[in-house]
Amino acid sequence: MPLDAYRIDTEPYYEPQATEIDTFTAAYHERLPVMLKGPTGCGKTRFVEHMAWRLGKPLITVAAHEDMTAADLAGRYLLEPSGTVWHDGPLTQAVRHGGICYLDEIVEARQDTTVVIHPLTDARRILPLEKHNEIVPAHADFQLTISYNPGYQSAVKDLKESTKQRFIAIDFGYPPSSTESTIIARESGADNDLATLLVRIAQRSRNLQGHGLDEGASTRMLIHTGRMVRAGLTLTAAVQAGIVLPITDNPDIRAALTDAIAACVP
Amino acid sequence: MRSVSAKPSATLQVLFEPEGDARRLHLIMRQRDALRPFFLATWEALSRQFDAAELETWAGGVLELVNVNAGPACLIAYWEASRNAASTRDIAPLLGAAQIGAEICRHAGAAAATASLNALATARRSFEAAALSRWWRAMEVLAREVPESVLPAAGRMGQILLPGTVEAFEDFIAAGLRSAAGNRSRRLAFFSLQDDLARRMIARDSGGVGFPNVEAEVKAFATALWGELPLLRGMASDSLDKPQRRSTISGPIIRLPETYRGVQGDAARALFRAATAHAQAHLVLGRARFPIGTLKPLQVALVNLIEDARVETLAMRALPGLRRLWAPYHVAAPSGVATATVLLARLARALFDPDHVDDDGFVAKGRALFAAALPRIEDSAISREIGTLLGNDLGQMRVQFNARTYVVEPVYRDDGLGLWDFGEDAQPPDGVLDLFIDAVRVDSQERADGSSQQTEPGNTEAGIGRGRPVAPDDRGTVIGRYPEWDRVHGIERPDWTVVREVAAKTADPHTIDEALDRAGAVRNRVARLVRGLRIGRTVRLKRQHDGHDLDVDAMLDAGIALRSGREPDPRVFRSSKSVHRDLSALILIDTSHSTSDRLLSGSTVLDVERLAVAIFSEAMDQLGDPFGLHAFASNGREDIRMTVIKGFDEAYDRHCRARLAGLSSGLSTRLGTALRHAGNVMGTTSTSRKLLIVLTDGEPSDIDVPDPLDLVEDARRAAVDLHSRGIDAYGVVLGTAGIASAPRIFGRGNTMLVPRVENLPARLSELYFRLARR
Repeated sequence: MPLDAYRIDTEPYYEPQATEIDTFTAAYHERLPVMLKGPTGCGKTRFVEHMAWRLGKPLITVAAHEDMTAADLAGRYLLEPSGTVWHDGPLTQAVRHGGICYLDEIVEARQDTTVVIHPLTDARRILPLEKHNEIVPAHADFQLTISYNPGYQSAVKDLKESTKQRFIAIDFGYPPSSTESTIIARESGADNDLATLLVRIAQRSRNLQGHGLDEGASTRMLIHTGRMVRAGLTLTAAVQAGIVLPITDNPDIRAALTDAIAACVP
Repeated sequence: MRSVSAKPSATLQVLFEPEGDARRLHLIMRQRDALRPFFLATWEALSRQFDAAELETWAGGVLELVNVNAGPACLIAYWEASRNAASTRDIAPLLGAAQIGAEICRHAGAAAATASLNALATARRSFEAAALSRWWRAMEVLAREVPESVLPAAGRMGQILLPGTVEAFEDFIAAGLRSAAGNRSRRLAFFSLQDDLARRMIARDSGGVGFPNVEAEVKAFATALWGELPLLRGMASDSLDKPQRRSTISGPIIRLPETYRGVQGDAARALFRAATAHAQAHLVLGRARFPIGTLKPLQVALVNLIEDARVETLAMRALPGLRRLWAPYHVAAPSGVATATVLLARLARALFDPDHVDDDGFVAKGRALFAAALPRIEDSAISREIGTLLGNDLGQMRVQFNARTYVVEPVYRDDGLGLWDFGEDAQPPDGVLDLFIDAVRVDSQERADGSSQQTEPGNTEAGIGRGRPVAPDDRGTVIGRYPEWDRVHGIERPDWTVVREVAAKTADPHTIDEALDRAGAVRNRVARLVRGLRIGRTVRLKRQHDGHDLDVDAMLDAGIALRSGREPDPRVFRSSKSVHRDLSALILIDTSHSTSDRLLSGSTVLDVERLAVAIFSEAMDQLGDPFGLHAFASNGREDIRMTVIKGFDEAYDRHCRARLAGLSSGLSTRLGTALRHAGNVMGTTSTSRKLLIVLTDGEPSDIDVPDPLDLVEDARRAAVDLHSRGIDAYGVVLGTAGIASAPRIFGRGNTMLVPRVENLPARLSELYFRLARR
């Protein structure tokens, strides 16, 4: 199988928050494209990995960026000694051989790039490759998943309406406190007390969302902080290095956050 | 004074020179019954320290004061100062004091001289001899330059001298003289410390951390703690002889003292944090208001104390680290005289810290009652129950309690006023108000200020867009004359209109800040737009002669060309360049009478304009694009008023926001002239693109033009003229009144209709970003 390298063999840990597993399973069953919305570090990518494992399909992940062109997704001719040779891009590979193609942070790509996915996300399920003069019908296992962070949403960087409306959406938030502390404990090896405290600390930063911070501390950030503590750092130092310093450069907000975090620590 | 008559003064008289000053002074004093005892007491005290010659010169100094008619109060003040200084055994400073005192009296009057001499005691505490004479000289300069300011300044010497160096004092005097620039009322405000600048200078020089320094930080701190944005206000500092004022809560607003005296640097920051956290805990966790009923002052104080303990207990359950924040201020020791104030402070500590040992019966009882009520801690009723009970106990112990001098301990706690419901007209029991006397005073001051801000012209019989005549004295200075198009005759009348610059009124910039806080969503959206734009857009260039990597598509074409025997295109690289914006913008705000119309939301059109401009300005400020804000209104062709809220060269600071907050509606809209003037203003900027955005809520009109079409046509010509000068004029039309005329004036592509005025804040910034990316 050409995509064997993309298969996930061991179960990626994922703690369900609501009905997202059922939603995704149903969408995959119907081969409908899925859009995962949510702030950074709340588990979108982990969820896709988990679902790919659960469904037993290969997962091809593409991180979108500003300079990404349609050719980067679909493929292009490359020069080889014998002449020009067509190389499938990651999207075409998934379409041709069957797998889940995950476009991470899709809004980062330019809008004219993203229209390449349109024929794949409606009833046609085809990928036209103009340069190769080919129409690739989607493999039965192919499914498209994109993620996007509404926090970045702006008039400049937003999904086109025509793109948005093709997707089944799953909204991710920060998990409820108890779930989040379980996740932190599991992922960082922190004990339960520390995990609960980290969640409480995160709440302080999330309170500042929109009032000095664009986004509060993510679950991923808390896991990293937990790991720093486990590696022998004091909690204060770990929180400073793992949360306060990365999250803001504004000295007032930094001071306020440091003090508010201190208020959580018994 | 009682010791005065004990020693007969006759023994001294033998020492006098026959025609000396001392003898003359004694002779004068013999006739002044009221002054004589004070004088003799001083004389005696001084004669113990100084010899006859020195006393003689001192008497000369007194005579100098007498000669300038300094009056009894001034003489007594001087004697008082002389006695205080006698221990230094140096007569020279005293003589200097008399001379300068007389000088001040000559320029500024006896009251000022008296106040200065009284202030000498304060100055002496701060300064050594050399510095003291510099202090006197500065006072003399003050008396000579601005006599009326001596009295207020001398009366507040304690505060003015807080920085503790004479250089700071000289600097303060100089700054006051300069900043007021001949404006008497501003000068008085400065020297009586009503002025912000004066207070900030003192706070800065004394190394103190004032509320303005920490506002942003403590606001974010309280928000982070409980997820609710606190409404914080500063509170003017009080005089030195009163105890430090506590923070106070009124409604949803937390007022914090401008400074906490004697607390500096990080300690002050910590105290502000502690005070904010405590007050916000009341607002978030307490929210109860107790009816004042017939409670006695002591009971009120105790209910406050229990409620403080209750909300702190609740707060520390959720956020245990708050204990570390508050604990340092609980210092009441379980010893000493058990006055009511001391007992209350001890009880506060005992309730705060369960491990603290205090064996007093009253404290123990309070602790027991509070502990028993812990299961009901969520219920604010326990505060009233326990407080009333303990109040009775303390009352029966007959300990002294003076509501007038009582202040809440520890210092970070609020005065408790916000907890009480005084009812509509019920008269609170005697003395209860004394507890809150400071706070009440602040409140009424605020109200006085608030009403003075509302100088907006009220609704009158005048129709929409039609102005009202005003007194000529606030018509401002003429800054330009402009032509106007006469539609009927088809000619342009030169110098037809007169533009006057009107000084902007100011109001509390906090109103802007709060409106911004409420508009969080729009503001964040705009902030993101800013980020997108600020990074400097990079444009990728394909098929370049050189660049940072190969352009694969160009390479392929070149490869194909090579193999098929054609000449390959050598441009096979990609590069990128960042696009810099070179853009300035001027926002022209229509403040005509119709902008006072109320919208469904209850705010006026002008309120929305203000908010939109505030959000926009914040974004522009971050972007660093030069921008200006002008407001306009007209009252006939001779009187088109431009108010500069922010000039192009000015920084967008709190003064701009104060002027923005101070905008008021009134008069009419003579758009064409405003456009022409704006064109002139923009002509001075050197950017390659110039953007003029006009916020207006209707079609042009004025009192002396019967047919609005005339002005529409004139404005159209003005807009066309702007275009030919390279200025892009955009009309943002609020509401539905101007829908027809605006496209005629600005052109369809340059008009943005905002029929729902509430959408303006989002739309205005979007417009700019759309335009700026072009």
